[in-house]
Amino acid sequence: MGRRRLRRPDPADAARALPEAIAALSRTLPAAPSPETFRRAKFDHPEAAPALWRLLFRVLSPLPADGASASLALEAQARWVKSALRSQGYPRRALVQLPDDGSQGGRELLLALAWLLARGPLPERLLTQSHVRLGDEIPVCECEALASPGLPAPSVEAEGCVDIRHLQWLMGKLRLQWRNLMASQQEQCALLGKIHSYTRGCHSDRSLGHLSVTETELLRDPEGGRQLLRRLEMENAQLEAALEWRHRELIFWQWMDTVLDACSPEASPLTFLPRIPEPGPGAARLLARELQTLQEELREAAEARRAAWQAVVGGHGPEWRAARRALQTAVAQDLAALQRAWEQDEGRARPHGPRRLVRTEAKVPGGPGLWAAEATEALRAREACLEAVLRQLQGQCRQELARLAGARPGLIWVPPPAR
Amino acid sequence: MLPAECSRRLVAELRDALDSCAERQRQLEQSLRVSRRLLRVWEPAETPAPEPTPGSEINKEAPSSACPPSPQDLKELELLTQALEKAVRVRKGLSKAGEGVKARSLKSGSASTATKASAPPSTSRCTGSRAPETKPPRGVHHPWVPAKDLPGRRLLLVGDGAHMGQGAGANKPEAGLRDQQIVPQAASQVPEAFTLKDKGALLRLPEAFRKAASRNASLWAQLSSMQTRDSVDAAAATAKTQFLQKMQTAAGLPSSMLSAAEVGRLQKACSMLRLRMREELTADPKDWTQEYRSLLTLEGLQALAGQCLHRLQELQELRSAVVEQPQGPWPEGPPRAALPCGGGADPVWSPQLLLYSSTQELQTLAALRLRVAMLDQQVHLEKVLMAELLPLLSEQEPLGRPWLALCRAAHCLLCEGGQRFLTVLQDEPADRLSPP
Repeated sequence: MGRRRLRRPDPADAARALPEAIAALSRTLPAAPSPETFRRAKFDHPEAAPALWRLLFRVLSPLPADGASASLALEAQARWVKSALRSQGYPRRALVQLPDDGSQGGRELLLALAWLLARGPLPERLLTQSHVRLGDEIPVCECEALASPGLPAPSVEAEGCVDIRHLQWLMGKLRLQWRNLMASQQEQCALLGKIHSYTRGCHSDRSLGHLSVTETELLRDPEGGRQLLRRLEMENAQLEAALEWRHRELIFWQWMDTVLDACSPEASPLTFLPRIPEPGPGAARLLARELQTLQEELREAAEARRAAWQAVVGGHGPEWRAARRALQTAVAQDLAALQRAWEQDEGRARPHGPRRLVRTEAKVPGGPGLWAAEATEALRAREACLEAVLRQLQGQCRQELARLAGARPGLIWVPPPAR
Repeated sequence: MLPAECSRRLVAELRDALDSCAERQRQLEQSLRVSRRLLRVWEPAETPAPEPTPGSEINKEAPSSACPPSPQDLKELELLTQALEKAVRVRKGLSKAGEGVKARSLKSGSASTATKASAPPSTSRCTGSRAPETKPPRGVHHPWVPAKDLPGRRLLLVGDGAHMGQGAGANKPEAGLRDQQIVPQAASQVPEAFTLKDKGALLRLPEAFRKAASRNASLWAQLSSMQTRDSVDAAAATAKTQFLQKMQTAAGLPSSMLSAAEVGRLQKACSMLRLRMREELTADPKDWTQEYRSLLTLEGLQALAGQCLHRLQELQELRSAVVEQPQGPWPEGPPRAALPCGGGADPVWSPQLLLYSSTQELQTLAALRLRVAMLDQQVHLEKVLMAELLPLLSEQEPLGRPWLALCRAAHCLLCEGGQRFLTVLQDEPADRLSPP
């Protein structure tokens, strides 16, 4: 390990380095304000606040910026930002107390942005989200689709009481929609297969071999191709800025220290807090119920096995004692690893995200990508698991309903014929 | 009728499900539109077509190109033009449009128009055969040089041609010439239109695009290596951790508030525990060590589940003690489904491929993926419906028809996925004489 020369940045260096670092940050974040705005924010100038509210909104919202979300009023954006930060566990109370009209609070917002930057690789994550996709992509995991909570719905219809038949109708509609979706998907796959095989040999990248729909489309439609190229070049500029930011960010953190010091220390926690929406109580309730059921099932299974075990344990010899220790340690390690997997945020076995489809005849094992057959296997396993869960839940309901009905004499249930 | 609150929640959930399905459908249809259009005959570009590559402007009418060709290129160009003229003379009776274009091209001398001149002679030969044909202008192996300046679609066909002009070993010299034959006419009389099926293999991506794409890939690779190398830059990492700690200690809020992240973690825990339990229960122990191990695991899982539940209850209590209940249409923070895979994508994009060998394989994969998504949604809806309807049914006491109807409908929804109904018969007491 070589010795690294740590050189204290002298003031002259700092004077140059800081604006450059902030400039890099400003170039890599989407819709970021100018470096001057950052400086103003440190001194809490009011004009810095709206720009920073908008930046935080853009950075925190999970969906790509489109007309609908961008057109939300500043006030609505500010409220949403507060809610999102709270749900991520943002510690400072002062942010929550800022006025909703977005007119104040440059310094607090700057601190919030720094907090987000410190917690994880924010610019990289944003760039990955907005990355220009050149290939035909298919997600192998459903993570992306499920993990995005929506932005505040523009209008929540005030529904009164509904008949349960309305629910049945909605379920039927849902079923139909899925069927249509599957049919459309099959057609799209057939078309993709054709396009890929017709353009075989065209790609300059040999490992890809053929063109994707996006690439073919840019050839068909030069204007669209130009736009794609522009977007690609913009992304390249942002990527370069991100690399520069990574090289220079130390000076930014030293500066943020001074910003934090400039804030007055917060008073002791109040018992009353302004009304800030927390993650819905519904989710926690549902989860509590699930955990209870799970615990119950585990208890039953474990007790049964323990009883069975006790019955035969006498028959084992002395070697059993030694083996028992080893087994206990092994299981403890196993379970600790399992626990780590959900405690830590970075616990993924294989990178997810959508993958680019490549049609190939080669049967090279250990090739550059994931084989469709393997992915299919994994999906089948997941399908089986989900089907089992669904059946189990339905069974639970059947039991419960039978119990309720059984409590009332004179009812005969005739279930529909089994499939 | 269901009570208002319950109705609102259930309808909202179902509408959510419908919306997400509709969104998928919308995206699919967009892709379908594009794909179908690509497989049809391609409409010719309008003339004059502006440049696809910014920065290298060339006007079709302007005689001079942006980057002056070298003397060798000019010589080759002249050879080509002469050969083409000859070919045109030989092939009389071709479309007038071709003639007109050729005449213009001879005047302007611009490389681009040479393409069009070559099109008529060769397209007639194209019909009926796709095999590489003998090149009409013999002896010219390098079509043209400032290929990247070509307007319109010509660009796509000679992307590699730019390199060929330098005399470097052309990968596909024939392809470059075949390209000439494929250019669709701007004029109305098109001898043969472009279809992907017939001539797709001859397309080439534009130079500027390829450069940008490869720069893009290299930048991502640099960013990615920077991520993994983060431990080297210890100073920045330390500064960040210190900053976070300072923020936390200067804060006015207790940090053990119920946060979406915590709930999400517990959800993940629940699903991972369940998965593990299923594995243990379905495994077949072959000897007593495995049996014992399985037993210990189940007991351990039970303890973990208890811990998670305890933590959740703690957090719920804490929250209700400190914060007022939120009201109004606020967005629900945490994602509703717990994901068995790590949850959350890689922060840095990296090119990942999915290799398939037949359309059938692709269709199977895609169908399975949709099925998994649908099942996921169904499981979630089932849980929500259970949470709402079962308490409702057990609370209600009235013995009348409405309760029965509700019960039957609930059974349909909960137990049969909303698809089939059971029949409920009521056993009339013997002393009543009314008809059933």
